[in-house]
Amino acid sequence: MKSRFGTNFFSLLSLALLWEVTGRAMDSTLIPPLSQIGAAWWKLLSSGKLLSNLSMSLTTLVTGFCLAVLIGVVVGLLMGRFRAVEHFLDLYVNALMSAPSTAFVPVLILWFGLGVESRVAVVFLFAVFVIIINTMTGVKQVDTVLVEMARSFGAREKEIFFMIILPAALPAIMAGLRLGMGRAVKGMVTAEMLLTLTGIGAMIMQYGSSFATDSLFAVIFTVLLIALLTMKAVQWLDRRLTGWKAEIAIE
Amino acid sequence: MLNGLNVLNNLNDSNPLVEIQGVSKSFHKTVKEHTTEVKALADVSLSIRENEFISIIGPSGCGKTTLLKMIDGLIPYDGGKILIDGKQVTAPGPDRAVVFQAFALLPWRTVLANVEFSLELRRLPKEARTKTARDYLKRVGLSDFENHYPHELSGGMQQRAGLARALAVNPSILLMDEPFGAVDAQTRQLLQEELLELWQRERKTVIFITHSMDEAVYLSDRVVVMTPRPGKVAEILDVPLPRPRVSEAVRRDAKFVDLTNYIWESLKKAMENHHP
Repeated sequence: MKSRFGTNFFSLLSLALLWEVTGRAMDSTLIPPLSQIGAAWWKLLSSGKLLSNLSMSLTTLVTGFCLAVLIGVVVGLLMGRFRAVEHFLDLYVNALMSAPSTAFVPVLILWFGLGVESRVAVVFLFAVFVIIINTMTGVKQVDTVLVEMARSFGAREKEIFFMIILPAALPAIMAGLRLGMGRAVKGMVTAEMLLTLTGIGAMIMQYGSSFATDSLFAVIFTVLLIALLTMKAVQWLDRRLTGWKAEIAIE
Repeated sequence: MLNGLNVLNNLNDSNPLVEIQGVSKSFHKTVKEHTTEVKALADVSLSIRENEFISIIGPSGCGKTTLLKMIDGLIPYDGGKILIDGKQVTAPGPDRAVVFQAFALLPWRTVLANVEFSLELRRLPKEARTKTARDYLKRVGLSDFENHYPHELSGGMQQRAGLARALAVNPSILLMDEPFGAVDAQTRQLLQEELLELWQRERKTVIFITHSMDEAVYLSDRVVVMTPRPGKVAEILDVPLPRPRVSEAVRRDAKFVDLTNYIWESLKKAMENHHP
């Protein structure tokens, strides 16, 4: 763990150095040196511009993702548990899972307008299908021996669901949440760039078109940081809920 | 009769606890939209006395596990009747508990919580649950491991937990499905001795599925030999070895050796006469 952290740090440091040196040598607006990006980032932060846009983006992200988790897990559980529900829905879920979600943005604008609802809908659409499919797979992969065991000790359907199926499927559900979170961040930026220029997406478009590359990179790094931190948050939750599984993986 | 061993074919006991009367079972097997009927069991009859330790032995695929699951009420049977205490079996009941071949422990629960699982389903309050579970963990020698997760234990220890979970609900009939099939030979012998000790103390009716001949002879009062698919009762043998049985002494006993050999011959004959 410690050595991995060290390697991560070394990797970041080398990239930062290379960036700085290249930037200074090129002396062009296309690749501003890292120190200049840092200064721009600090300016955006202290002026409050970054934070106000960030809070707008994160509201969209969290709302859309939570809706996706809620609906994705419920639909996934139903599809995994009931063959009829699976056969009724799997065609759409599979099609929408592989289709580029960006294609649906115009439709969402028509349905939800240009407000926050539309952006939330995009985040939701990006994240929900991978959560559904992972949840369904998790439920279907539950060891039948465990279900049989519970039944033989007198468990009823409700008890089998809550005491066997749900905990056994939890690692797969959490994997779906992790993947869903990555897609949700993509959805957030896509919505802010394609729908109405708001939040982080607006900043990217604005600085990109005005060649303010130092600010542009500062915002892009912020997006990367959000992606990393939200992923870590899901991983933390995963470890809290399915610690028993992580231990197995280590062995 | 063989070497003075009593070979019985249809034991007629006055008051059997479990009565299996002409039970049969078929499965439908679908391969590439081609459904064929596979006859797993044909006309199986067997009476089991209270507190008896009976083993069912047979080649793989003879339907012995199917028979056990039907006695537990996990799967329905097509023909015949299974009676426990005179009542027909339709579903799992509190008078029976199963020890599974693959342990079937919940990997997200500690050993203690796994044993509590069966008691939770019986709606025992939390405190009573923990107390009972600890008591049975002690009996199987797992007290020091109650906070371990199943994957942290050896196969033998996992099955001890499985045994504790089954015993904790205090069933009158213990159904054991090749319980020691997944552990190494030394552990297996140790678990057999422990099981006999427990059985001697708890006095339960044990129905024990195995494909090991010496295991069947060492543990049982009677051994049921089954034919390959469709499974039928080939013969039922009495094991006239005195109890308590001390492993080393019993295994050297001429009667033990003869009986094990006899079962081997019987199995071989059943398999040779088998024309699928």
